[in-house]
Amino acid sequence: MQDNVLELTRVSKRYGAFTAVDDISFAIPRGAIYGFLGPNGAGKTTTIRMILDILRPDSGSINILGETSALNVRQRIGYLPEEKGLYKKMKVWAIISYFATLKGMDKHIAKARAFELLETYGLKDYAEAKVESLSKGMGQKVQVLSAVAHRPELVILDEPFSGLDPVNQEVLEQLINDMAAAGQTVIFSTHIMQHAERLCDRMLLIAKGRKIFDGTIVEARAIIPRRVILECQGDIAPILQMDGIIGASEKNIESTHADGTRHWELQIQEQANPQLILQRCFENGIPLTRFDYTQPSLHDVFVHLVGNDAKEHHFR
Amino acid sequence: MKMIWLIAAREYAENVKTKGFWIGILLFPMILIAVFFFQTMLAESAPTRHYILIDQSGQYAPAVEAAIRQEHQRRILQEFVAYVIEHRKEANPEQTVANADAQIDQLIDDVDAGEVAALDQWLDSGGLNFALTLATPYLREDAPPFVEPREQFIQAPLPESVDANAAPEEIIEQMRPWLSGGRQLRVGGEDSDLFALILIPAQVNSSILRPSATPLGMNQSAAGIQYWARNLTDVRLPNAIERSINSTIRNNEFAARGVDADIVREVQRTRLPVSRLDPSAEQGQEAVSVADQFRQWAPVGFVYLIFVSLMQSVQYLLSNTIEEKSNRIIEVLLASVTPLELMMGKLLGIGMSGITTIIAWLLSFLAFIVFYPGNQAEVLGQFLDVLLSSDLIPYFVFYYLAGYALYAGIFLAIGSLCNTLKEAQSLMMPMIMILMLPLATMTYIAQDPNGPVARVMSWIPLFTPFTMMNRAAAEPPLLDVIGTTLVLLLSIALVLWLSGKIFRQGVLRTGQPPRLVEIARMLRQRH
Repeated sequence: MQDNVLELTRVSKRYGAFTAVDDISFAIPRGAIYGFLGPNGAGKTTTIRMILDILRPDSGSINILGETSALNVRQRIGYLPEEKGLYKKMKVWAIISYFATLKGMDKHIAKARAFELLETYGLKDYAEAKVESLSKGMGQKVQVLSAVAHRPELVILDEPFSGLDPVNQEVLEQLINDMAAAGQTVIFSTHIMQHAERLCDRMLLIAKGRKIFDGTIVEARAIIPRRVILECQGDIAPILQMDGIIGASEKNIESTHADGTRHWELQIQEQANPQLILQRCFENGIPLTRFDYTQPSLHDVFVHLVGNDAKEHHFR
Repeated sequence: MKMIWLIAAREYAENVKTKGFWIGILLFPMILIAVFFFQTMLAESAPTRHYILIDQSGQYAPAVEAAIRQEHQRRILQEFVAYVIEHRKEANPEQTVANADAQIDQLIDDVDAGEVAALDQWLDSGGLNFALTLATPYLREDAPPFVEPREQFIQAPLPESVDANAAPEEIIEQMRPWLSGGRQLRVGGEDSDLFALILIPAQVNSSILRPSATPLGMNQSAAGIQYWARNLTDVRLPNAIERSINSTIRNNEFAARGVDADIVREVQRTRLPVSRLDPSAEQGQEAVSVADQFRQWAPVGFVYLIFVSLMQSVQYLLSNTIEEKSNRIIEVLLASVTPLELMMGKLLGIGMSGITTIIAWLLSFLAFIVFYPGNQAEVLGQFLDVLLSSDLIPYFVFYYLAGYALYAGIFLAIGSLCNTLKEAQSLMMPMIMILMLPLATMTYIAQDPNGPVARVMSWIPLFTPFTMMNRAAAEPPLLDVIGTTLVLLLSIALVLWLSGKIFRQGVLRTGQPPRLVEIARMLRQRH
């Protein structure tokens, strides 16, 4: 059996008539950076709370670091909740060190560790400041640091990127990569696909409490076929007959360029060779103004998989 | 356990840093000092008060003047006795200033007009010096000399523009500017407020009330002697005048009816003393002293102390829990510690700061007694002896901690259910009402410590800490002491267990505070 730090087996949670998490199973191997994706209200936070045993599932079982309850191994876990908050009156270093000591770290080591983290991640000057004097983004960075100061084996970050400016988002990505490099397992939830794309080894996608996808980024991309985008004047009928082309659609019909340029999107099979398509275009004398072979982004996958649900939820 | 300590230490450190904590700690000694400082200051620097006496009847001026002399003599003697007691060599706990005061009051009240003059003469001719010589061997060597208090009430002449023989209404009309403080009197080259105007109309004798006569109509408020003053709180002067004039009138009446005034005086001074004895005291010590009285009433002070400190701690617990809830720190905490550890940590931390406050109060009380000069502090010192020698302190410690555990558990549960203080207030209301009850019955229970109300309330756990503290000095039946303690401890365990359940689920709740049905469901849940 693989060395999994976390396994969920058929976990469900209901609030009255509303099912927040519906029969979810997945496993996370040690050392992975694991993305936890889903639209708002998908059940990410509920799932995370169940993993941490803050909430208890109605059915199903959870195995975390070899235990049935996170409470037994809470010192080996770091957690950043979705809604961020800190004691306003405490000093920055003190709050990091306090949360580390609550995780069993020695007082003096925790203090040294707090200063070390603040220096590494650019908050050295604020170590003695009170939390209430920090900006929202800085406060959030402090909170991330306080969640991971005790070097947990498993780090669970709920929406760590929300509210951070691009520079600090990069700092946070760096932190996550550093932790992975140190052998720590990182789970983070987000709905910003770029982060998941850049960071994750594996990802879990849930919507309406149900698991929609669980696998590597490569596997995720494979869900939607690769695409070739063509722009040309005239017809592309000869190409559509080729092997390996699953479908084609013409985009922006109403905004067709004045000069008659048309915009096509071809879906092709995984193993199809885009070179052949280009070659066929030349052979048939199709005057291309654009030839684009792209991998689908995670964003596309996300929209493809949960698009309708997410919208429905959004306007409910 | 380590987690509980960590949380408690943080709560304590954070609480100690708040302004409210220091205000709470400093308030008590400041009030103590203020009260005694002002009292002494007022006593020593009581302003000279000028009064005007208009006696149109020509009969009662001597009686009024005698009354005022008598007030002055009373003050001199009181201060003298206080001085002797303060500076005597050996302290006799039974002979306190308060006891002596009562005796002097009795002595002065017995004195009638003729003797006022005699006492005055005695004082004038160095009677006090004589007494001082007698007392000196018993005084400490470093005692300062005795300073006689100044005369407080001094007669002022009527302003020249006012005719003393005019009709009373007219005089009052003309005196209004002075009576209302708009104009000042000119006395001995200095401006001074008019404190009181005593007007004795010419026909005052027609207003004398006799048992045989029909009483005057209630609306004739200005009948008899008129005492005009804006200061309604200092009643020494009008009381003394009333006493003195009535005694004069009665003497006249005796004479008119042919009764010998000397016999009357002798009869009036005949009295049988009532000794107040305490059956619970040892033989030979049954006399109820001030210290005994204090022992009876000290529990009331402790009940109040428990109440004030409890309110402070419990409010802090509540707002602190709501803060953690509203900014979601609670979730991080719960990922690190169990709800029970969190709850216990909070209870302990805030409890420790409550105890710190009380210790600080007691220490400042002690320091006050040690460093504050004057005899009031000495009275307090005797009270302290009483406290330390009785078992009130252990009672207090136990009931404080028990009351704290009980109410803190309840308020923590309330805090865990609310997201804002505003929401909490509606849930808190009934609890505050319940807390007010022991405070409202505090005096009553001190007077009837083993009566039915006290006994019934003792058995209601929410009141037990207060009511049993209240009764602590009255040696409640053993059944009550042990029984209520057991019930109280069981209730504490139950409350903490139940509020632990509510707390666990409440802290993660968002939205409106739950209805009662939902709370009941929370209590039934296993996790």
